[in-house]
Amino acid sequence: MALLEVSDLHVEFAVQGGSVQAVRGASFSVNEGETLAIVGESGCGKTVSVQSVMGLIQTPPGRITRGTAKLRGQDILGGVAAGGREIRGTDIAMIFQDPMSSLNPTMTVGAQIAEPLIVHRGYSHRQAMRRAQELLEMTLIPDAASRINEYPFEFSGGMLQRSMIAMAIACEPSVLIADEPTTALDVTIQSQILDLMVDLQRTNNMAIVLITHDLGVVARMANDVAVMYAGEVVERGTVDDIFYRSAHPYTLGLKSAMPTNRQGAVQKLTPIEGAPPDLFDPPPGCGYYTRCPYAMEVCEATPPIVFDVDRAHQSRCWLHHKDCLQQVTQIYRP
Amino acid sequence: MANSRTNKHAYVRYAVIRLIQGAITVWLIATATFFAMHNVPGDPLMDEKAVSPEIRKNLQAKYGLDRPLLEQYGIYLSNMIRGDFGISYAQENRSVNDIIREHFPVSAILGVLSIVFAALGGILFGALTAINRNRLPDIVIMFLVIMGISVPSFVFAALGQMTLVNVNAFLGVSILPVAGWGSVSHMIMPSLILGLGTMAFLTRLMRSSMLEIDNADYLRTAISKGLPPTRIFLRHQLRNAILPVITVLGPSIAAITTGGFVVELVFAIPGLGRYFVQAVQQSDYTVIMGTTVFYGAFLVFMVIVVDLLYGLVDPRVRLD
Repeated sequence: MALLEVSDLHVEFAVQGGSVQAVRGASFSVNEGETLAIVGESGCGKTVSVQSVMGLIQTPPGRITRGTAKLRGQDILGGVAAGGREIRGTDIAMIFQDPMSSLNPTMTVGAQIAEPLIVHRGYSHRQAMRRAQELLEMTLIPDAASRINEYPFEFSGGMLQRSMIAMAIACEPSVLIADEPTTALDVTIQSQILDLMVDLQRTNNMAIVLITHDLGVVARMANDVAVMYAGEVVERGTVDDIFYRSAHPYTLGLKSAMPTNRQGAVQKLTPIEGAPPDLFDPPPGCGYYTRCPYAMEVCEATPPIVFDVDRAHQSRCWLHHKDCLQQVTQIYRP
Repeated sequence: MANSRTNKHAYVRYAVIRLIQGAITVWLIATATFFAMHNVPGDPLMDEKAVSPEIRKNLQAKYGLDRPLLEQYGIYLSNMIRGDFGISYAQENRSVNDIIREHFPVSAILGVLSIVFAALGGILFGALTAINRNRLPDIVIMFLVIMGISVPSFVFAALGQMTLVNVNAFLGVSILPVAGWGSVSHMIMPSLILGLGTMAFLTRLMRSSMLEIDNADYLRTAISKGLPPTRIFLRHQLRNAILPVITVLGPSIAAITTGGFVVELVFAIPGLGRYFVQAVQQSDYTVIMGTTVFYGAFLVFMVIVVDLLYGLVDPRVRLD
C-alpha cells in the first residue's frame, strides 16, 4: 500500500456565473522514501490538487466535490485526520514556489522554524530555538547560530528556500510536498536545493511529492511521475515508463517540446499547438481532443477512461482500448 | 552580514537623526508663527481701554515691542532655547510656562486616552470586520465608521453629553459626569468622543490592511504548518496588518491633540486648547508662541516616537 494515496480528486471554484472545474479526477500515490513528480503546464491543476489535500484552498470559493486522500490508509483530505488530529506540519509538510514571500516578514527565521516544534511537539521556546539552529545547520546555512535571529529580508532566495525546508522537516514529516520549489531560484541554487532534498529524503526516509514543469528535474528526482492535463491525471507510471514508454499523446507532446543538449542536434522544438480547454466549460470528451494529432471520433464526445498499460503504468487515452484500430508507433503498447 | 549589534547601532543612529530633524522642524514652526503673528494687524495692547499715546509708548517699551522685529525674534529664540516662554500680556502675572504646566497635563491625558481608545478600537473593529467580511458585523460596523468619519466631533460631543444627561436622569444616579474634570469617570466620555473619528478612520485602514494580506503567501505557509487559527491570526496576520495603522498613528495624534479644544470646550475641561484659542483672539503674543511651539514640539516628538515604534514592529525599517 502506498504511503499517500490520492484518488479521483475533484475540485471546483465558484466564480461569477458558474464554477471552474480546476481538478477533474486526479489520482496519484507516493511510497515511503520515494519521489513522485507531478508535471503539466500552468493551470492544469497540479497546485490545486496538493493544496486541496493540505486544506490550503479557500472554501468558498473552492470546493472539493469528490475524491479521497489517504495517508497510511487513513483519510486526511483537507489536512485533518479523523478525530481532528492535525496532520499538517507533523505528517505532511509543504514548501512553496516563492520563498521570498512565503516567510512571515516580521518574525525571525528561527522563530518560524521553531513554531511547529512548539505547537506540535510541545517544545519550550528555548529547546525549539536550539533545534531550529540544528535544522538550519542540516540545511547547510552558514552561521546558523546568528542566522536564526535574523529576519527573512536579510536572507537570499536560496537561503530562504533552505529555511523553508528546515521548517518543513522540523517535525520529521513522512511526506514533503514541494510545489515548484526551485522555479524562483537561479540554476545553480536550484541544483543545490534539489541535492539537499535528496539528502534529507535519504536520512529521514521521507516521501516527496514534487510539482514541477521542468522535465529535467523530473528525470533527476522522481521514481514515479503523474502527468496532469486540464485537471486530470492523463498518465501515471515510473519515470522510465513516462520517458521511454510514453503511453499518452500529451506526454509525447511534452517530450518533443523539451530541448536536448545532444551534440549536433539541429531539429527545432515542436510546441504543442493550441491551448488547453477552458475549465469553466470543459469539453464533453477528452480535454486534449483539439490538440491531439491522433484524435479519433470517439475522443470528441466520450471522455476516455483510465487504461492499465502495464503494471503500475496507466494512461487516460482511447488509443489503449482493445478495439482501437489506430496504431501509433510512438505510443507505447506492450 | 548584519548581526544584532550592528542592528542596534543602526537603530540608535536612526533615532538620533530623527531627533535632529525634529528640532529643525520645531525651529521652523517657531519662526513661521513668530512672523505670521507679527504681520496680523493689531498687537496685545489694543485691548487696553483708553490708553493715551504716551502710556502706550511706555508699555511698548516695557514689553520690547518698539524694537526691530528681527531683534525681538532673536530675543525670543534665545529665551525659548532656555525654556522660557515669557509672560502673558493678557493675563496678569502669569507666565506662559505656568499656563502650560498647569493645563497641558489635562490635554495630554485626554489626548493619550483618546489615541489609546482609537487605536485599540480601530484594530479590534478592523480585524472583526475583515474576519466577517460582507456579513452582518462588517456591514453594521462599516456603516458606523462612515458616520464616525463624516460627523464632526462637536456634534458627537453634544450628542454624548445629552445622552449622559438623559441616562443619568432616567436612572436617577449619575453613572458618568456630564462635564468637568478631575476623576477617571470624567475622562471616559470626552476621550471616547475625541477618539471617535480617528477610530473610524483606523478601522477602515485596519480592515483593508487585513484583507490585503488575507491571501499572503506566508499565511498559507502558516496554515501548512498546522498552526492553530488563533496563533495564525495573532502572530502572522495581525502583526503584519498593523503596520499601516502604526504609520498613520503619528498624524492621528496631531489630529486628536489639535482637535481637542472643541471637546474641551463642550465638556468644560480646563485643557490647554482653550488658552490657545483665547490667546489668538487677544493677540497675546507670548501665549500664542508658547502654546504653538509647545504643541508643535509635542507633535513632532510623538511622530518620532511612532517612527521608532514602527522600527520595532517592522524589522525592515531599522536598517534604513
